[in-house]
Parts: sequence; C-alpha cells; structure tokens
Amino acid sequence: MAYLEFDHVSFGFGNGHDKYPVLADANLAVEENEFVAIIGYSGSGKSTVMSLLAGLLHPDRGTVRLHGDQIGPPGPDRGIVFQNYSLLPWLTVHGNIELAVRQVFPQYSTEQREDWIQHYVDLVSLTGSEQKKPNELSGGMRQRLSLARTLSMQPEVLLLDEPLSALDAITRATLQDEITRLWSQDKRTVVMNTNDVDEALLMADRIVPLTPGPAATFGPSFPVPLPRPRNRATLNFDPEFKRLRNEVTQYMLSLHESHEDEQSTGVSLPDVQPISLDKAPSIQVHVA
Amino acid sequence: MLRSATSPGSFWTLFRLEAALTSLALLVLTALPGCSGGEAAPRPTLELTEADLAAVTAEDLNADAATQKADGKLQLEKTNLKLGFIKLTDCAPLVIAKEKGFFADEGLSVEVVAQPNWKTLLDNVISGDLDGAHMLSGQPLAATIGFGTQAHVITPFTMDLNGNGITVSNAIWEQMQSNDPALKSPTPPHPITADSLKPIVQNMLDTGSKLQMGMVFPTSTHNYELRYWLAAAGIHPGMYTESDIGGRTDAEVELSVTPPPMMPATLEAGNIQGYCVGEPWNQQAVAKGIGVPVCTNYDIWKNNPEKVFGMTREWADANPQTSIAVVKALIRAGKWLDETNADGKLVNREEAARILSGDNYVGADFDVLKNSMTGYFFFQKSDKREMPEFNVFFNHHCTYPWYSDGIWFLTQMRRWGQITEPQPEEWYHETARNVYQPEIYLAAAKLLLEEGLIEESDVPWKTDGYKPPTSEFIDGVTYDGRDPIGYINAHDIGNKDK
Amino acid sequence: MEQLKYSLLKAINVSGLTFLEPVVRLCYGEEPREQLRKIGRFILIPAATFGLFLWAWAAIAPVYKTKSGEVPTPSVVYSAAQGIQDFHNRESDKEAAYTLTAEDRQAALAKTEADLDVVKDLREQANHQVNQAQAAKATWLEEELGPINEQYAALKEQFATDQKRREAALRNKAAGISQTDLTGKNELLAYIRGHQLKTEEEAATLAELEEERALLAEQTYPELSEALRWQTELAEREQYLQKKQEILSRSNRELKLAEQNEKLQTLKREYAAASGPQMLTLAEQMLQQEERISSIAASEYAKPWTLPMQIVRSVACVFAGFFLATAIAVPIGILCGVSTTFMAAVTPFIALFKPVSPIVWLPISLIIVGGVITDPDDHWLITTLAELPLIGWLQINPAFIASAITVALCSLWPTLVNTALGVASIDKDHLNVARVLRLSFFQRLTKIVIPSALPLIFAGLRISLGVGWMVLIAAELLSSSEGIGKFVWDMFNNGSSATFAQMFVVVFVVGAIGLLLDRIMIVFQRLVSFDGAPAAI
Repeated sequence: MAYLEFDHVSFGFGNGHDKYPVLADANLAVEENEFVAIIGYSGSGKSTVMSLLAGLLHPDRGTVRLHGDQIGPPGPDRGIVFQNYSLLPWLTVHGNIELAVRQVFPQYSTEQREDWIQHYVDLVSLTGSEQKKPNELSGGMRQRLSLARTLSMQPEVLLLDEPLSALDAITRATLQDEITRLWSQDKRTVVMNTNDVDEALLMADRIVPLTPGPAATFGPSFPVPLPRPRNRATLNFDPEFKRLRNEVTQYMLSLHESHEDEQSTGVSLPDVQPISLDKAPSIQVHVA
Repeated sequence: MLRSATSPGSFWTLFRLEAALTSLALLVLTALPGCSGGEAAPRPTLELTEADLAAVTAEDLNADAATQKADGKLQLEKTNLKLGFIKLTDCAPLVIAKEKGFFADEGLSVEVVAQPNWKTLLDNVISGDLDGAHMLSGQPLAATIGFGTQAHVITPFTMDLNGNGITVSNAIWEQMQSNDPALKSPTPPHPITADSLKPIVQNMLDTGSKLQMGMVFPTSTHNYELRYWLAAAGIHPGMYTESDIGGRTDAEVELSVTPPPMMPATLEAGNIQGYCVGEPWNQQAVAKGIGVPVCTNYDIWKNNPEKVFGMTREWADANPQTSIAVVKALIRAGKWLDETNADGKLVNREEAARILSGDNYVGADFDVLKNSMTGYFFFQKSDKREMPEFNVFFNHHCTYPWYSDGIWFLTQMRRWGQITEPQPEEWYHETARNVYQPEIYLAAAKLLLEEGLIEESDVPWKTDGYKPPTSEFIDGVTYDGRDPIGYINAHDIGNKDK
Repeated sequence: MEQLKYSLLKAINVSGLTFLEPVVRLCYGEEPREQLRKIGRFILIPAATFGLFLWAWAAIAPVYKTKSGEVPTPSVVYSAAQGIQDFHNRESDKEAAYTLTAEDRQAALAKTEADLDVVKDLREQANHQVNQAQAAKATWLEEELGPINEQYAALKEQFATDQKRREAALRNKAAGISQTDLTGKNELLAYIRGHQLKTEEEAATLAELEEERALLAEQTYPELSEALRWQTELAEREQYLQKKQEILSRSNRELKLAEQNEKLQTLKREYAAASGPQMLTLAEQMLQQEERISSIAASEYAKPWTLPMQIVRSVACVFAGFFLATAIAVPIGILCGVSTTFMAAVTPFIALFKPVSPIVWLPISLIIVGGVITDPDDHWLITTLAELPLIGWLQINPAFIASAITVALCSLWPTLVNTALGVASIDKDHLNVARVLRLSFFQRLTKIVIPSALPLIFAGLRISLGVGWMVLIAAELLSSSEGIGKFVWDMFNNGSSATFAQMFVVVFVVGAIGLLLDRIMIVFQRLVSFDGAPAAI
C-alpha cells in the first residue's frame, strides 16, 4: 500500500451536460519521503490534482488516500504552497507565518512561537524582512515566504503547485536549489507540479506526466535515478540526464501531438509545429 | 532577531479595524471643548448650631407669624427652563422677560429657543423638549379638542393684541384700485374691505382659475382673520370637512399654509397673490416693493387677541409655582413694553426693537422691526401711518386669559368646519375654561401687586372672564362670548348651528 | 535628517496632502527646478484660481440685485463671519460674568460701566453723524430731483391740456356726423382710437419719469449707510454692555446666593426664636430655602447657542449617526457577503430603503424616539448623557437622537453595499488558506474576511460620512436640533439684510468641515489599504 495514492480518481467541474471532465480514472502512488514531480501542459489539470490531494476538492469517483485512509478536509498535515503564493497582503512576513503557527501549534508559549517563526524566516533567508508587507517583497521572496509559512506547519506531505513558474530564470534556479536543500535537510513526501522538464529532473525522484485534458490521466512514471546532491552545472553533461530528458520530452511531445490530432477538427494548421509544453513557443530546457 | 507582532516596529501597522474605530472615537472626544455639564451640587444638610440660638435678637422673638410668611417668594419646582418662540415681533414678552432680567428676578434661568414652524413648536412642547412656548391662540384650543395633534395644552397668559396684516401683490392691488377708484390715492381711506377684490375673484373664477392666498397655520389667527375679511365681502374662502383637511371645499379663494418667512418670496414667485401674516413680513413686502398691505387685523377686529403663552396641563400641574413665576415675569415684560411717557409715547419700544433684531431672536433688520414696534405702519412707501395700537402687549387688560377670546376662536373653528359636528353652547364655555387659566394669571398678578411691581388697575380682578359684547368688526357683527351659537349663526358664509 | 524626510513624505502620502511633497523635497534641496515647477502647479495655481474666484465674486456680486436683497461681496461675508464670532464672544463673556465673584466681579463691573460711558458718548456722535448725513442726502436728493420734478410737472400739465383739446375736437367732430353717415362714424372710431393711443403714450412717458424719480430716491447714499452701520454697531455694543452690567450688578450668581443666604439666616434666627406650631412652617420654609440655594449654586447662565457651539454639536451628531450606521451596516454587510441566502433575504429591503430621503426618515425617527423617550427630563438615557463630562454640554435631546438616527438611516447604505462587495469579492486563495489552516468561522471572519474587506469597507465609510454630513444639515433644520442646520433656518427666518452673507458663511463652514471629515477618512482608508486591495466604488 502506497503512502499517498490516487485510486481511479475522476473529477470534473460543472454539472450535468455542462460538466467538464478534468481527470478521468487517474491512478498514482507516492511513497513516503519520495519527491514526485507531476509534469504536464498548462490546463491539463495539474492544479486540480494538487487541490484533490490537499482536500480542497473532492473526487467525483475514486478515492485519494493518505496512509491508506481516505483524506478528509484540508488541513495542515498536507501543506500546500499555492501557485500565486496566497499571502495575506495586510499581514507582515512575520504575521503571515504567525497566523499559521498560532493555528497549528496553539500550545506554544509566546517565546516558543517566536523562536519557531524566526526559525522558518531564517530558513528561507528572509531574515531582516520580518516587518515587511508582501507588497514590499520581490516575487522570489514572496514564494519563499509562502514556502516558510507552509513548512512552519510541519506538514507530512508538502504539495507544491507550480511554485516557481511565475519567477524569472535566475530566481527560479536559486529557489530550485533552496527547495531541494530544504527537502534534503528535512526529508518528507513532496509532490510538485511543474511544466519544466529540467526542473523536474533536477529536483524529483520520479517524474509523472499528466496527459493533456480534458479527461487527463497519469502516464507512465519516469524514475530519476540521478545521484544527489545534483549539480546543475555538471548535470548538463551527464549522459543519464540527457537520456532522461530526451525520453521525457519525447513522451510529452508525443502526448501533445496525439492530443492535437484529437483536437483538430478540419482546420489545417501550418506544418511547422512549435515545440512546447507550456504556452506555445518552446520547450523549456535550461542550460545553466 | 525576535519581534512580537503585538509590538510592531512601525507606527502605521498599529491600525487594525478596532484601532481605526477607537481613534475616530477619540478624535470626536478630543474635538469637544472641555466643558462639563451642570453637575448637581451635593445636597447640604441644614443644622441649627448654638451660634444660631445665640444670634436670636429681641426683634426676632417679637416678630409675629405674618412677617415670617411675608417673603412671597415662590418655591420653584424647576429653575432651568427652555421656552420656544417663532420669529415674529409678538414673541417680544418672552424675549424681553429674559433680556431685561425679569425671569432672573424670579430665580429662573431661561433659554428662549427659536422654532422652525408652529407644528414643530407644538410638538416640542407636547414632547417635553420645551417647557412652554409662544403660541397661536388657536393652538392650545385645537390641541385640547384634538384637531391636529391631541394634547391638553393650556394658556395662563395672552401675549398681545393685533399685529397682523393682509398683503396683496402689486398686480392685484392695481386691479383693486381700478375696481374702486377711491383706492387710487397715495393714502386711500381705511379700512379697505375685500369688496374691491370680489370682482377680481369672480373674474378669475370665470376664466377657470382661483385666487391663491397664504396663511401660516390652519388654526392660526391669520387663517381666521383672512377668512373673516374675505367672507365679510361675500367671498367664500372654503370649508374644512372630514375629508378635506386643507379647507378648500367650495372655496372661491384658496388658502394654503406657508411659513411666515417664506411669504414674501412665495408672493414674489407668483405662487400666491396675497397673504395674511404677522410682522415683520408685511413691512418686508413694502420694503422690497413686492406687495401692498391692504388691511391690518386691527381693522378686521379692533384689539383682537393674537398670541398666547402655552404649556401642557401636565407640565403646569407638575410645576405649579414655576408656572406662576413665568407668568409674573411675562406680565412685567408686557408692562415694560407698553410703558408710556407723559405724552402717551411708548418709551421702551425702540430698545425692544433693538433687542429683537438680535440674530438669535427675531433677527430682522432693526429698521424694519422698528416701524410696527414703535407704532408706525407702512401701507405703501408713500403711506406711512401712525398705528400706536398695532401691537398691544399690556393695555386693555390684554394679557389676562379671557374665556371670551378662546370662545371666539372656537366659533371660527366651527364656522369653517374644523370642528365637524355642532356642539352645545356649554361645550364652548367648558372648553375655554379647560384651556384658559386665569387662576395662574391672578396668582401671579397678586404677587406682583404685593411686590409693588404693578398697579391695582392693571388687572381685571373681578371679571368672570368674558369681555363685554363688541361690534368692532369690519362687518359690524356683534360678538358676545356668552352666546357662541348665536354668533356663529350671525354670519352668511360658514356653518350654522341650531 | 533623511529619516525625518522619509517620515514626512510618508505622512504626506498617507494623509493625501501630496501638494506638500514638493515643499518638503525643496527644503531638502532635491531637484529644486522640478520641485519649484510642482509647487507652481499644485500650490500657486490653485491659490491663484481661488484668488481669481474671490475677485470675480467681488466684482459680480454688487451687480446682481434681487428684490430679496443683494448678493454679498466677500468682504460683507467676512464681516458677517465676524459678527457671528462677536455674538459668540459676547455670549461667552456674559456667561463668565454670571459666575464671577468678589473683586473680580467688582472689577468687571467697573470696567463695563466705563466702557458703557464711552459707548454712550460715541453713540451721541453717531446719532449726530446720522442726522448730518440724512440732511446731506436730503439736499442732494433735492438737487437731483428738482429738475426731474419740474419736467414732470410741466409735462403733466401739457399732457392734460393736450388731452382736453383732443377731447373737445372729438366732441365737435361727433356733433357733425349724421345718424346715417357710416364713413363718418368709422372715421370717428379711428380718431378715438388714435386719441387713446396718444393718451397711453403720454401716461407711459410720465411713468418713466416717475420710475427715474423712484430709482433716485432709492439710491444708497454711502455716507449715510456708513453712518447708519456705525450707529447700529454701537447700539448693539451698548445693548451688550447694558446686559453685562445687569448681570454683574443684579443677576450674578454670587449676588443671588448672597441674597438667598441672607434670607436663610433670617429664617434660621426666626426658627431659633420660635416655639410651638409656628416652628413647622418655619422649618419647612427653611428647608425649601436651602434647596433653592443649592439649585442657584449649581445654576449656569442660560447661554444661547452660537455658531461655534452649533458646529461642534453638529459634528458630534454626525459622528453619533455615523457610528450607528457603521454598527448596523458592517455586520449586515459582512453577513450579506458571506451568505448569498442572507443577501437574497435583505436585498429587497436595501433596494426599498436606500433611496428614501432624509426628509421622510426624520419624522419617522422623531416619532419613534418620542415614543421611547416620553419624558426627556426623566429618561435615564438623557440624564446619563447630560452628566457625562465632555458630552453633557451638548444637551443631547430627542431631536439630537432623531437627527443622528436619520443620518444613520441615510448614510448606512454605501457602507453596507461596500462591505458586502468587499466580503464577497475576497480572493479565493485567501479562503483556501483559511481552509488549509482549518480556521473556525469566527477566526476566518476576523483573520481573513474583515481584513481583506477593510479597504472597501473604509471606502464605503468615507462615502457614508460625506452623505451623513449632507443629510445632517437637513435633519437639523427640520427637527430644530441645535446645530448648523438650525442656524441656517434661524438666519433664513430672520430675513435680515445680513441673512445672505450668513448663508455664505455657512457654505464655507460646512464645506470646510466636510472637507476635513473626508480627509480624515482618506487617511484611515489609506492606512488599512494594501496592494491589490479591491478598488473603491
């Protein structure tokens, strides 16, 4: 029995005729302390998967289980880092973390709580910005704050919903390293959404592709047996890495093409197809 | 570095919802100037000491009981009073009693407060917000019999006689002049009746319109006087009925309520072609050149009662001594206002006009107030006449609350249908006795006489409350307060009872 | 230094007084050219516009005359404002005179009497001056009117003879026409018509002259008006001094107390001397006398309401109404935003009551308040409020409460709608955070919903306060609750020559206070707002 699993999960938005099927009969099993990256096109339902895992949404059919039990309403045991940070703009850095800590650890004395908050502020390198409001922070700092808030709740499972997609390349690379570092320090189960193959390869133990929607489902897993710690500079020359990248990209492109075929309804498109996982133009392959 | 969220580094983060609201509250509080409300002094305990016993003189021991009671000071139930008035010159007794210190002499601290209109004034008296007020004679009667707001309102004091006028627009005046050439003179003979108005009214009726005139309140003297003036010339001013509370049934001239200060402006705007109102609003029409006063109520009924001082029965019962004290001050004010020198010239009126011209009192320009207050009246710019009795505040025993005055207003209410059902004669006498309270007046007068502030002849001590019959009306009909039904039936227009 | 600068700039930013920003920056020598340009644009130009407005006003006002009066010029309005202030000062002075004691009272009395003598002398002079000016005006009028009168008389005589001549000619003509002469008869008709036209023309010429005469007679004679103004001013001053003298020498509290104490002493001695049943009456009198003394000791001068006091009372009233509106609108708004069912339930009421005018609410609230507080002198609410230290002197009465309720009923809608909108438009992600944190309903409300909706709530409150301020003036006017509205109505009722100017003073006072209230709300609004907050409506 897997630690965290999707058992024949189907989910759709809307009702009756207007129902838009997002997931259809999706199956996934995540082991304890495993770092799984779910990769897929935008709009394929990655965020829905996260919401189902967090308990913010309920499957129409099938079950989501943790420790073999069906998951209940959202809670701090499944800490989720939202795609757009979801920070409370009227609270400071300190206040945002404090809200979570007070809620999850009500038994803490003031001193304990303050220490706890400061620990996570330091952990994500926001030291000195405690009294700043989110609108005074850069995008990367906001995401780090969001991460700190989630980590401060000591979740069993960390759900990262495209945590880095809104960031510029350099910030993104820094945060990738940082998240990996945090995970390696404090091993716990992580499920991360991404649309970036390199990112997935760099960070995850296993890559699970999501087929394009509607009625998406999980494709075959690609284990990433690369040794840790992974160095992005040397990784580019690693033949295993190159092979994996090729394999995953090819798989994703094939998904995309078949999907396009299904979708085409007589409109002949030009022969030149942009290679893309995300919004049309190019597949994101970073060479650091 | 550890920081508690409850002690933020920046001042600006202090503000949460609660903080914002408390600050607002503080702001209000600090904006108010420091001034404490009158805290009641702790009640001292009176004790006789050995020293008091030792201080007894032989004189004290010989003093008889009479001298010990001689201090006629009233034991006031209430010393801080709030009295209402409307901005008209006939509020003078109230203002003078305050400004000349007559209230203070009685130990009263009185605030006189202008009221926006007669309705609000009456409501404020009934609700207890005001302790008493300057009122139209008809108001206490109407309130007591339940026409309009129902409440038992009484009056122990009549404030003045006369003081109203009927003004018509320039255009109507010109037509009246062409109907009656005698009016063409710069100083036409008075009284001017509505006879010369009748053809105009008829003409308008023929062309399908009605002359519109303003008065100040349904139960005001102005309403009854204007109706009297019109009806005396055979013009029907309309009846009040159960369903027509505007009083326009069968009207040949339609009357509507307009607040006094609005009269000149409404006339100028052409919404009405004439009005009946107290001073200074007739003189304003002359000063501004927008109308011509044609008739004063002195001509309609010589020395007719005008305003009264009203208060609720409930208040008077709870504060009997204070009521007497107020009336004392008012009588003195009336006497002061009507004081004359050896030549019979009113000596205090100019000062009174000056006081009344204060913004918190009548507030009109001194020059305008002075005219009528000092015994002059401009009928046109070229027609200034002496009218020494335009305002009477004390002479003719006018401050005494005569039953017969009350009955006259009741007859008018019946005549024009404000009292919808015929009433027996006794009802008129009884209602007048319910509202007019000469007992309070006489108690006050008696004290004043003892204090030497008035003379024996100033008060009709022995009267039964009815003035002798008089026929000093514009139509010469005789009024005898003892026979209200007969008086109602003596008129051509209006209700008649058996 | 730099720290101070940033604090200043931040304060300026929060308070919305951005026009001060270039001044601060200029003081720190930051880009002087740029700052001077900004000062020119945001300070000098508005100041110049205001100056221009004053100039245009001063120029246009005297030209525009109505029968109700003249439009006051800025200087007349300024002197009206001074008159209002004088009235306030004089009444405060009388109030002080009432409670002065011992030497202070003597000194004040001596000074008042001295002042009174001076004023009396001056008044003599003023009267003399008025008489002179009147005489001068009469001579001047005589000179001006003389020729016109002569012309008028001459014309009148000439027209009269002309008319008589024409009438005679017509009579002659008529005599010469036989009964069957149709043309002759028609000719005569035409002649008569001509005669009538001519007569009318002549009457019109005379009327024109008469008008000219009337205009001249009505013309103001500056020296006379100046003298009259001085006379009036002195007369008012004299009256005030006389009243003050009266208070200081007769109705002063100390004097009254002394007099009553004297009486008490007499009574005491008499009581001490008395024996038997006589003692009963005396004891009663003595106790009554004692009560009377304590009530005099606590008494205050019955000071009339003056505009400065009325302004404070109005502001207090608007805040009372505003807080009431907030207390009603915010909870209901939150419930509306949280629950669509609740929203559906109350929407008809909101839609129905929102457009109702204050003039309708006022009588209703007056009746309701009157029903609850039947005897204002004895009602616990009124007596409690009267004893509060800062609020007591406001004399909160049913009319005040009704006005405040009217303000609340008219001004709660923007807050209610904005609160509902603010709560309903809360970011879904913020609610997800609440779900993940498993916040209770109450926690969700206080930690997420309200803070998130605060900027919109405050935007609503700001509109509410503005509406409340406008409504209040009307409510006070109708309920005769002491305040600016009552002042307006009283001054309007005065119908004096100063009325218009006093109205203009009120315009500026009301405008300035409204502006101040709005600024205060802006500061609060800025303090609670955050980046990405939903915009105000």
